[in-house]
Amino acid sequence: MADISKWKVLSLAALVVVMLVLPQVVKSSFAVDIFIRILLFSFIGVAWNLMGGYAKQLSLGHAAYFGLGAYTSTIMQVDSGISPWIGMVAGGGVAMLASLPIGWLCFRLRGPYFTIATIATAQALMLIFLKFRDLAWGAEGTTIPNLGSSPLMMQFEGKAAYYYVVLGLLALGLVITWRIERSWMGYYLVAIGENEDAAEAIGVNAPRIKRDIYMISAFLTALAGTFYVQYIYFIDPATAFNFNISIEAALVSIVGGIGTLWGPVIGTVLLETTSALLQSWLGGSTGGVQLTVYALILMTVILWRPAGLMGMVSDAYRRYVSRKPARA
Amino acid sequence: MLETVVQAVINGLLIGGIYALVSIGVTLIFGVVKIVNFAQGEFVMIGMYISFYLASQFGIDPIVSLVVSMPALFVVGVLVQHFLIRRVLGPNDMPQIFLTFALSLLLLNLALLLFSANYRTVHTSYSDEAFHLAGLYIPVAKLIAFVVAMGLSGALWVFLHATDLGKAMRAAAQNRDVATLMGINPDRVFCVALGVALALAGAAGSLLMPFYSAYPFVGQVFVLMAFVAVVMGTLGNVIGALIASLLMGVAESLGIQFVGADSGLIVVFALLLLTLAFKPNGLGGGRVR
Repeated sequence: MADISKWKVLSLAALVVVMLVLPQVVKSSFAVDIFIRILLFSFIGVAWNLMGGYAKQLSLGHAAYFGLGAYTSTIMQVDSGISPWIGMVAGGGVAMLASLPIGWLCFRLRGPYFTIATIATAQALMLIFLKFRDLAWGAEGTTIPNLGSSPLMMQFEGKAAYYYVVLGLLALGLVITWRIERSWMGYYLVAIGENEDAAEAIGVNAPRIKRDIYMISAFLTALAGTFYVQYIYFIDPATAFNFNISIEAALVSIVGGIGTLWGPVIGTVLLETTSALLQSWLGGSTGGVQLTVYALILMTVILWRPAGLMGMVSDAYRRYVSRKPARA
Repeated sequence: MLETVVQAVINGLLIGGIYALVSIGVTLIFGVVKIVNFAQGEFVMIGMYISFYLASQFGIDPIVSLVVSMPALFVVGVLVQHFLIRRVLGPNDMPQIFLTFALSLLLLNLALLLFSANYRTVHTSYSDEAFHLAGLYIPVAKLIAFVVAMGLSGALWVFLHATDLGKAMRAAAQNRDVATLMGINPDRVFCVALGVALALAGAAGSLLMPFYSAYPFVGQVFVLMAFVAVVMGTLGNVIGALIASLLMGVAESLGIQFVGADSGLIVVFALLLLTLAFKPNGLGGGRVR
């Protein structure tokens, strides 16, 4: 067994080296843009997976926190000139605070109606930002002032630096997940995910655990929001609270393997690569194609491989490497 | 002032009848099969496109095309239950939620590919007609839609209470295991539930067509209303869903009249959040899930 964990450490080290060198080798800005998308959605998926994957609280409203993070840092930067690095953390804080009342409402429902309630809260937040123009620019949104190369304001020349920022975020998300997975909280989360009533019966304080993990998940999702608007230099309610963000957060985790450390990353690599290939085959006119393909992949996974790609990987690992029988 | 309020209430009730067809479908599926059909709005959309093509190709009146859209969607419902939903029924929430969600995503984007994002309308001889009663304005197309919708809801109630199959469905909704012991075949009952629910969605689509545009995203408007109405009316309760849908129509219409044209949805969300905060089991009481 010692050999296997040595292999794990080695392959992880190799992965880190490859990820760090990648933008130095691949100079095409189209390719780096795709890498950034993959890292960003992996990170959002990792944040979603903490709550949706381990505790099986299937939210389709994480766009709420993505948008709050994006708006907090942008408002601080545009109105007061505060660096988005500070705004990013502040946005995370705002998202954590917002997750308390939203969670208080949504956790009253379970299963599918929890999911619907999360959709409704995210949509309601978008409507608030659309309607109340005094809050932040209304429907037109605003462009973020381009200061040229100024790393202290999270603005860089070339895409490589953005790549490293989002790579750092993903690493943060993975480390947090890895720590939680191995803590008491991780076991509580899985217990809640398996059977909430049974978990409560053996003394798990389910409401508190769910509240805490929702706060962590919201915090991380908000960081992604700040990064994204800094990357595209633009914000409006339709971008920041886009329902597709909520969908993709859940989708990459489910396709990759719900409740696993690497599942969201693997899922994003598959989905975003598919989407990039479709775009290069079909040109610009892909209205509907991408999501049609996503929906088909999702249905295939649900009907034939509910454990996702990670489930297939670990079955293959058991069969060929550790020679134990695969799970039924 | 009073006239404006009454007019807004009438407008709300008329559209609420359509919401009712959608939410009764959602609550019927939830009550019997215990899943939430996220794709219910997309079946309204399909019903609308069926009526649109029958009207534009063959000149068939959208209301008359009910006799095509309802059976067609009944068959679709049986197929969806038999080939998709049946395979994910079990204790695990994830596949159930995301299967119908994926179906919604698939149908919506296929519609975008096949029909483009253009708005399609059907103009009938009664599309612009209206009754004027004591200063009130009642559009004929909406009145027909409301009356037919209420008629169908009534027919469903009779079906559930007076036929063996309907009673079997209610029995399966109340206690699936005991119903199975009494000789009810749950697979068959579930197929009928899906078929009936989708037929109602198809009917809603056809009834909307004389006064509403068909476009790929149209279902999202109606399914959101339906979810709120179903939560308010206590999950799985057909009469509750009907009353809540009419209330929602009125609330939305009053919101548009007195808060602003873009505020209909805000009122709806506010209602949902208030319901969740103070009456999470729905206005009628009863159990969650």
